[in-house]
Amino acid sequence: MNRNGRKWWRTNKHKLEPARQNSPSPYAHLTLSKETKENLQTLQDIYSKCSDVIFRPFYIGKTIKAHVVFISGLCTVQDVDQYVLTPLMQANENEFPDMEQMAEQVLAVSRIKNLATIADCIEEIGSGNPVLLWEGEERALSLGLAKWEKRNIEEPSAEVGIRGPREGFTETLDVNTSQIRRRIKDPALKMERMKIGGYTQTEVIVAYMEGIVDQTLVEEAKARLNRIQIDGILESGYIEEMIEDNPASPFPQLKDTERPDTACSALLEGRVVILVDGTPFALIAPVTFFALFQAAEDYYQRYIISTAIRWLRYLFLGISLLLPSLYVAIITFHQEMVPTSLLISMAASREAVPFPGLVEALLMEITFEALREAGVRLPKQIGAAVSIVGALVIGQAAVDAGLVSAPMVIVVAITGIANFMVPRYSVGTAVRLLRFPIMFLAGTLGLLGVMLGLIAIVVHLCTLRSFGVPYLSGISPLKPKEWKDILYRSPWWAMKTRPHFTGEFNQYRQAPDQKPGPERSEDP
Amino acid sequence: MLEKGKISAFQMAVLMYPTIVATALLTVPSITAAYADNDLWLSPIWASLIGFVTVLVVDALHRRYPQKTIIQYSEHILGKLLGKAFGAFLMLLYVLLTALVVRIYAEFLVGSFLTQTPIVVVISTMLLLCAFAVRGGVEVIARAATAFSPFFVLPLLLLIVLLFTDFQLDRIFPIMADGVGPSLKGALIPQGWFTEYMLLAFLLPFLTDREKGRKWGVLSVFAVMLTLLISNLIVLFLFGTDVATMLYPLMAAARYVSFADFFENLESLVMAIWIMGAFIKISVFYYATALGSAQLLNLSDYRPIVLPLGFLITLFSFWSIPSLMETSKFDVAVFPFLGPLVLTLLPLLLLLLSFVRPARQEGKSS
Repeated sequence: MNRNGRKWWRTNKHKLEPARQNSPSPYAHLTLSKETKENLQTLQDIYSKCSDVIFRPFYIGKTIKAHVVFISGLCTVQDVDQYVLTPLMQANENEFPDMEQMAEQVLAVSRIKNLATIADCIEEIGSGNPVLLWEGEERALSLGLAKWEKRNIEEPSAEVGIRGPREGFTETLDVNTSQIRRRIKDPALKMERMKIGGYTQTEVIVAYMEGIVDQTLVEEAKARLNRIQIDGILESGYIEEMIEDNPASPFPQLKDTERPDTACSALLEGRVVILVDGTPFALIAPVTFFALFQAAEDYYQRYIISTAIRWLRYLFLGISLLLPSLYVAIITFHQEMVPTSLLISMAASREAVPFPGLVEALLMEITFEALREAGVRLPKQIGAAVSIVGALVIGQAAVDAGLVSAPMVIVVAITGIANFMVPRYSVGTAVRLLRFPIMFLAGTLGLLGVMLGLIAIVVHLCTLRSFGVPYLSGISPLKPKEWKDILYRSPWWAMKTRPHFTGEFNQYRQAPDQKPGPERSEDP
Repeated sequence: MLEKGKISAFQMAVLMYPTIVATALLTVPSITAAYADNDLWLSPIWASLIGFVTVLVVDALHRRYPQKTIIQYSEHILGKLLGKAFGAFLMLLYVLLTALVVRIYAEFLVGSFLTQTPIVVVISTMLLLCAFAVRGGVEVIARAATAFSPFFVLPLLLLIVLLFTDFQLDRIFPIMADGVGPSLKGALIPQGWFTEYMLLAFLLPFLTDREKGRKWGVLSVFAVMLTLLISNLIVLFLFGTDVATMLYPLMAAARYVSFADFFENLESLVMAIWIMGAFIKISVFYYATALGSAQLLNLSDYRPIVLPLGFLITLFSFWSIPSLMETSKFDVAVFPFLGPLVLTLLPLLLLLLSFVRPARQEGKSS
């Protein structure tokens, strides 16, 4: 123990203190003074060596000196010229003695904000709004002319569908909120704005439906977001990792979506949607394991088919998790399980293979994972080459050379396809990862190992919560009312209640007895 | 409170079902058949009576001392010293019972499937997994049980469907040819399983809907009774009175399945399900042991002692049971008496004492 009462192995003389301050801005205390020169000097000091910040001095009318400060590229120069410089220069300063009147009558800009401190000015300039400084005024004026190059609304590439809207979120927050607002016009849709990230000052929006959502959930979400103290948020993944319930889990505890329709349906179910500026991926909380297997299109196609497809997904989830392990377990320990004729053909193809089942499986699975990862990161033109090499070398040549057996290739291929059946990439990757430990267990303990691994995963899923909602909610704890969207996708006229997460909620989403039939309406 | 989790009464019932049925399904049919011949299907009904009694006793105790487990209220009823002694005895018994269950599970696996695997590997992997669940608390175990329960019931139905053509229904006759005697005798051993419902003493304090505890406890006993009855009927219809000579009759029934030339050798499937059941059973016993021990020792948390207890249980599973023969001897000669005596009669005594000496409780608690 040293003097500070810390243990000797903990003493670290040169340890840096972690940043306590969320915002690095040291200008918060600076107010604007009457002397424009001073203000200007402060701003110029702050923005020294920032070649993209433009200071434009001019005269309002003929006598009043003014400055407009903006960042080039974050607003269009034409707008500044046309709506700010031209009218102000041509105005008669004697007609409008103070700034407010001038703004009201001359400036043709709809979003205008009074600024009192330097920090406010910096914030506005940073977000692209030109700031107007004025001789003899203690205030500055922010002009909402921010406009920058943005990507067009495109079809979401990570969540493709046959039927359903084709537009996806973009990197621009305003576009994303407008896409949601266009679908849900009611003012009960609330969007609370906050800024996270010391340097990036990223705008984050917490959207929810007032009256549907459990208010404690919103409070919890906001509290968790407010806790974040980080230098920057560049993607919603940052936020996801900072607010999830159990960080030590391969399973995602928030759903990410690129589709506004998915986000809106989540809002209408009483979930909270978190939109982050700079990324097309919105976060949805809370989420259950089964909600991650619902694709947007399930709700647009006929319910019978959607139900069947959902079951296909569950089946292939099992296959993608267990098939290689089951194969390894069976060829290593439980040959008696296989019907005799199949066993003979399997044995024949494995005859020349020099590896034990586990090694063979690992070899193939790891190669497959490598191929897949290579295919994702490569430029599209080279991607084709990877798949050709993969198919020919790994598939054909490896079998011909007797390195792996043909059934193993089939198993790997089916596993690969099965993994693509999971509609959420983030769950798919979790399952992808978990199949390796189970393969080891299968290679050492056979079916017992597979079962132990499976039980461990289920127990882990049972411990998980997403914003307090049990991850397997619906199946365990058992809620038969929730089965309408888990075991089957019930038709819309039968989906009477919203899913229940926590606390009080607005239960009914539609009027009863809407099942359509051949009878004509009595009053047309 | 050591345990912060809460479960519903329904979850408790679902949790107890595999806890009792898991090991009972394996050996009960043959043990029962040895005494009851073709009346073996009646025995579970008699045996379940003690289950109902146990549930009612434990529930009555729970109503007198809500939010307390048996370890805690035994101190109130018996006094500090005697209560602690009783608790220590009970916990020692639970370690032994858990070890026994683990050993039976491992013996079955090693004997039927993994003939070359060292038994200690099978035991320790399972205990490690259970420790993982136990550390998660009663909520996690209950949720896992709920998730597994369909896999536990469906195969039994599947077995009926697939084997129906092979059933010889007339094997059930004559019913009670020698009176109720044989079936009562057959019930002597299975009733030991039903006394395990004493475990409710560790679960009832954590219910969200306490008033429903009794109802679901009784229903759970009933479901277990029904399951045993059905499984006994299946083996009776299939094998007749030869059941008595088999070690694991239901397993043999699964092996018997041959359907469409593809559904063969279903015993691996049965094994998989059996592992799930054993997992729940061991977890519940393990949990009760860990929680009870922590309460006995006045610890602030039971989680730190979960792994050490796991080692102890592993050791006990070798110390107390040298071989499979000993296991079945214990099952037949010891547990049918130990179970009702300790798990049913002692709680009943506690209950009676709590009526006789209610004043003591106040004196001690102040």
